[in-house]
Amino acid sequence: MQPPDRFDPWPEGIEPAVPIPGYANTFTHLPSQPLIRRPATRTEATGPFRLDRKLPCGDDNLAVPGPGRIALGQLIHIAGRVLDEDARPVPGAVVELWQANAAGRYFHPIDTRDAPLDANFIGSGRVLSDAEGRYGFFTIRPGAYPVPGPATWWRPPHVHFSVLGPASLSRLVTQMYFPGDPLNPLDRILMSVPDAAARERLVARLVPPAEVGLGWLGYAFDLVLRGRAATPAMP
Amino acid sequence: MSRPPLSQHTIGPFFPRSFVRPDDNDLARIGAGAPPSTRGERITLRGRVTREAGAACVNALVEAWQADAAGRFRHPADPAHALADPDFLGWGRAATDADGAFEFRSLMPGGYAEGNHHRAPHINLTVMASGLMRPLVTCLFFPDHPAENAGDPVLALVPPAARARLLARPEGLADGSRCFRFDLRLRGGATEETPFFCE
Ligand SMILES: [Fe+2]
Repeated sequence: MQPPDRFDPWPEGIEPAVPIPGYANTFTHLPSQPLIRRPATRTEATGPFRLDRKLPCGDDNLAVPGPGRIALGQLIHIAGRVLDEDARPVPGAVVELWQANAAGRYFHPIDTRDAPLDANFIGSGRVLSDAEGRYGFFTIRPGAYPVPGPATWWRPPHVHFSVLGPASLSRLVTQMYFPGDPLNPLDRILMSVPDAAARERLVARLVPPAEVGLGWLGYAFDLVLRGRAATPAMP
Repeated sequence: MSRPPLSQHTIGPFFPRSFVRPDDNDLARIGAGAPPSTRGERITLRGRVTREAGAACVNALVEAWQADAAGRFRHPADPAHALADPDFLGWGRAATDADGAFEFRSLMPGGYAEGNHHRAPHINLTVMASGLMRPLVTCLFFPDHPAENAGDPVLALVPPAARARLLARPEGLADGSRCFRFDLRLRGGATEETPFFCE
């Protein structure tokens, strides 16, 4: 596949509206000056070759860290495809996933919240998308956790994704949510996305058990990156 | 068929430490354990990421991307990609420490011609941190190349008073090669903020 060579502006309503009331860091970290619009040059249209040699991939089972060890929580499988804006599969993308454990605590020295750690759950993995753009992870459903601060709220269960695609401009950092969670419409971060359809695309879809078996509750989630082909191939 | 891109979110405060290993910050190494390319001048880049009031940004993720020493990318979008240095990756990542500090090692990038323009030697830096709902992208230049910098089409878009903030400052030697400093001020008003770009 040819990498994308056209990067349109973000469609209306997809980019989060900032700063976010109650999320203090969006007031102290965001630049006060407007971003400078520049044309994409070759540096932005390119990205690293065979990044999987730099960032080893294949760590796709977060729920079973070793023989006889299994994480606590609802076992789930998250799978989908990495695509560009023309819905073309993106092979060779590095997909990183990290999340809290079933109690809503991260295995991270910065997370000092008083909730239990799970010795069998680190909560991070990295895979490479295959020739059809497919990726997948075995993990557990994360717990909710509160955001500290005067205007505190609970983050709904969510999974963090970082995707390194074929160009600098296709870099994506986002979060995946679970369908029907009552915390979703109360989450200031999810609700900062103005367009309802764009928010809906951040929510995974339940997969029928016939497709994943009964060992894992299945969710489908496509990772759509910026970029398309300037000259689309004829059908 | 057309699919809208997914919305971006913050990377949050908890990006895993295991995703940033030693040598991931060396752009001159194509992989874990690979030796750095020797086709160019070895350089070190050091900086701090700070926010309002100059406070440190802890566990921010900084990613760097640049051309090789001859100004080429090993990527199909570069017409000369077949000639790019095969031992040079051009990409690296670093997480900031408790002081907001990060470090990269690389080779001095080359400039390149594109259309009617000439891009001066530069490194693109992308910052991801708690509170940033999209990655912030900036571009650093080197004081070695004043004539090329003066003609760079991206630097030309920066308000003149802010251009000096995109120049890396020489800071002696590190392991026998030149060291440069480039601090990233995310929020600090018109006179202190690092210029950031979008397309
Ligand atoms: Fe989170």
